[in-house]
Amino acid sequence: MPTKMKERELTFSQAWQRYGTLGILVLLLVILAILRPSFFFKTSTITQILSQSSVNILIALGEFFAILIAGIDLSVGSVVALSGMFMAKLMVSGTSPIAAVLLGVFMGALLGFINGILVNSTGLHPFIITLGTQAIFRGVTLIISDSSAVFGFPASFSRFMAQRIFYVPVAAIIAIAAALILAFLTRQTKLGRNIYALGGNRESAWYSGINIKLHTLIVFVISGICAGIAGVVLLGRVGSAEPAAATGFETYAIAAAIIGGTSFFGGKGKIFGVVMGGLIIGVINFGMNLLSVSSTLQQVVMGALIIGSVTLDRFVAGRK
Amino acid sequence: MKNVVKKFPGVTALDGISFDIRAGEVHVLLGENGAGKSTLMKILSGVHKPTSGEIIINGKAFSHLTPYDSYKNGISVIYQELSVINELSIGENLFIGRLPMKKLGFFETVDHSEINKRAREILKTVGLNRDPKTAVEELSISEKQQVEIAKAIAADSKVIIMDEPTASLTSSEVESLFKIIRQLKKDGKGIVFISHKLGEIMEIGDRVTVLKDGGYVGTKNISDITQDDLVTMMVGRQISKNYQHENFDFENEPVIFEVVNLSRKDNKVRDVSFKLHKGEILGFSGLVGSGRSEMMNAIFGAEPKSSGRIFIDGEEIKTPSPYSAIKKGLAMVTENRRETGFFHNFDIAKNISILPFVKTSGAGGISGLVSKKAEAQWADEQRERLNIKCYSTKQLVSELSGGNQQKVILGKWLAADSKIIIFDEPTKGIDVGSKSEIYSLMRRLADEGKGVLVVSSELPELLSVCDTIAVFLEGKIVKFFSHREATEENIIHASTAQESEET
Ligand SMILES: Nc1ncnc2c1ncn2[C@@H]1O[C@H](COP(=O)(O)OP(=O)(O)OP(=O)(O)O)[C@@H](O)[C@H]1O
Ligand SMILES: [Mg+2]
Repeated sequence: MPTKMKERELTFSQAWQRYGTLGILVLLLVILAILRPSFFFKTSTITQILSQSSVNILIALGEFFAILIAGIDLSVGSVVALSGMFMAKLMVSGTSPIAAVLLGVFMGALLGFINGILVNSTGLHPFIITLGTQAIFRGVTLIISDSSAVFGFPASFSRFMAQRIFYVPVAAIIAIAAALILAFLTRQTKLGRNIYALGGNRESAWYSGINIKLHTLIVFVISGICAGIAGVVLLGRVGSAEPAAATGFETYAIAAAIIGGTSFFGGKGKIFGVVMGGLIIGVINFGMNLLSVSSTLQQVVMGALIIGSVTLDRFVAGRK
Repeated sequence: MKNVVKKFPGVTALDGISFDIRAGEVHVLLGENGAGKSTLMKILSGVHKPTSGEIIINGKAFSHLTPYDSYKNGISVIYQELSVINELSIGENLFIGRLPMKKLGFFETVDHSEINKRAREILKTVGLNRDPKTAVEELSISEKQQVEIAKAIAADSKVIIMDEPTASLTSSEVESLFKIIRQLKKDGKGIVFISHKLGEIMEIGDRVTVLKDGGYVGTKNISDITQDDLVTMMVGRQISKNYQHENFDFENEPVIFEVVNLSRKDNKVRDVSFKLHKGEILGFSGLVGSGRSEMMNAIFGAEPKSSGRIFIDGEEIKTPSPYSAIKKGLAMVTENRRETGFFHNFDIAKNISILPFVKTSGAGGISGLVSKKAEAQWADEQRERLNIKCYSTKQLVSELSGGNQQKVILGKWLAADSKIIIFDEPTKGIDVGSKSEIYSLMRRLADEGKGVLVVSSELPELLSVCDTIAVFLEGKIVKFFSHREATEENIIHASTAQESEET
């Protein structure tokens, strides 16, 4: 019966939209388990994938909002570096780790605020603004660090960041907590609803009483805060603040958001998808290290996989 | 087309429809919102695949058409949402997909002189006096439509389908469209004409086919029937022509809304003042571009004003932005649903609930939580009130028929439960039956003590609902008519005559 078939197809495509990225993730894990069973079935593997993905997931969570309003934030990598460097400088000069971390995240927020103000006051596309601030923030990082790495953080900081709670690294807990808070924001708050509205149709949003500039500003501040937190996590993992840290990370963040189903045209996407996207990239990275793919080839594979998985997604979801 | 059936998940949009088009006739397709008119035409143009049935073109049978089949067999569709490409020139639009080429050494390039030569000839037949090199974005809506028709002629179409072509046209533009249609008829083209405006149908149609809920009601020769017959065929009952209360003396009622000396910097609105009494419906007439929508936008805070004061219940309000206007009790059903109306990424319920959420939020519209329960309730209320045809309020708005999309927009603004409601072209694309329901609704709102302001280019609409009609000319109100003195003639006269007196 034609009707029956239609209904089944519909539910299939709906199911794909909801769980498709999860499917890809499982598929990748299965491939990995078959290729390297000895490594795969170790808890340390899971721990490692989680902690490696955390930085990317955190950045991608912020990037998600920028893309959701049909914009983009290319400065996230530089924000990670600058807020991380700022934090590191504070810690080595004797500020307590807690205060330094808070101030570092605040720095992320401030940099996001600058992005938002610039987008609002110039009316230029965020692509241009954040391309510029990407260079500026990186430059400032180089200046304040004198182009050299900063290390020697208080032991309490390094110890805290290296902890595991039931095999789950602190980095992953931070990322999960951020994801939960932001999922709540997108699903349950008026602010979240308004951001989707703004991304769907700016004009309609304005006529519906949504303050476009205020929401744009908030979106960039969220992106900055997420990058600032990613800076904390990266500092904990690497143990030092490098002036060139997180270079090119915006690519992975954008990829995670897009693989996770966020629409470049704005207004569509989910936090859950972004987390899945971040994990997929994490697994691919980990898998290639495990299979000892050379780092140069890794870049090629990563690029191809990004294009491949998004194409697959659009192909299956768009099938009528 | 024979026994065409089309099922969408959840609805049967067409249930065994047969429909034929003869050369040299205008075949009108009529039916309520969601009856299946656009769907039937999209099957002809190859957008949708029918679930069953067949399509016969010049004796050749097809189970379905691809867009290419449709084009090859001489079918052109002019959708309500025009599909001309703004960035290209008129000429390029006419020949897009089959641009004439010329050899240039080893290369082939687009032959622009050929395009412009051929385009000029075709534009002459549709009466568009424009250089083919003009970019389409510089054209008005009616000119864009003429380009679409020219495109159909350039493709040598035998059948031209026009889906609500007159919904956004002024009466003089409709006249020039009809002139073109008559010429096309003479050239032996078959025209399918979809419209909710019965007067137009009687004027231009040869035969009419009525659909109802995806089913076939009947086909008649226009010359054999009256406008009232059409309404009965379509709605199944007669509808009222007037919605004013007789002997209602609103002058003695308190003023609930007042605008004093409103002006805009761009001079599109100049020193406008008016009062609205409790229970009164105030309409605004005037030519397109006379400043009515511009004034409403300024009142609502969507566009800046340079001076002027606004009062609700005698209390002055400031509206620097739509947010503040909404908070103070204003709502505005905007003219253009696609651009300023709905959110295509939201389902019906989310579209309808956006305003109540904004209205009840604090801190500049950002604080507070959404409630799924309240959302569903608001959506159901409006669905019932406006009779929105959908199988669930979780459906995307883009899946609804044109008229039902418009109803969602109305619902969105009514859900705000505002004191003063501005309706700018509220019934664009809405069928006659639903129109009458909307007019009754407006009257009920006014009776409940809400302020109702209506901007419309359809004079019959203003004449049948408004107690007072203000006529706009070049950014000013030139005259107020009470509904007893208002007639089509004196309103048209007021909205044009002054011009010649001044100059
Ligand atoms: N893409 C779609 N998916 C699901 N349902 C659809 C889709 N397109 C149309 N429908 C449904 O099919 C029915 C017929 O819609 P159609 O657009 O043909 O109506 P219409 O007669 O053109 O109405 P209007 O006068 O409002 O334009 C409606 O119930 C509509 O909701
Ligand atoms: Mg339609």
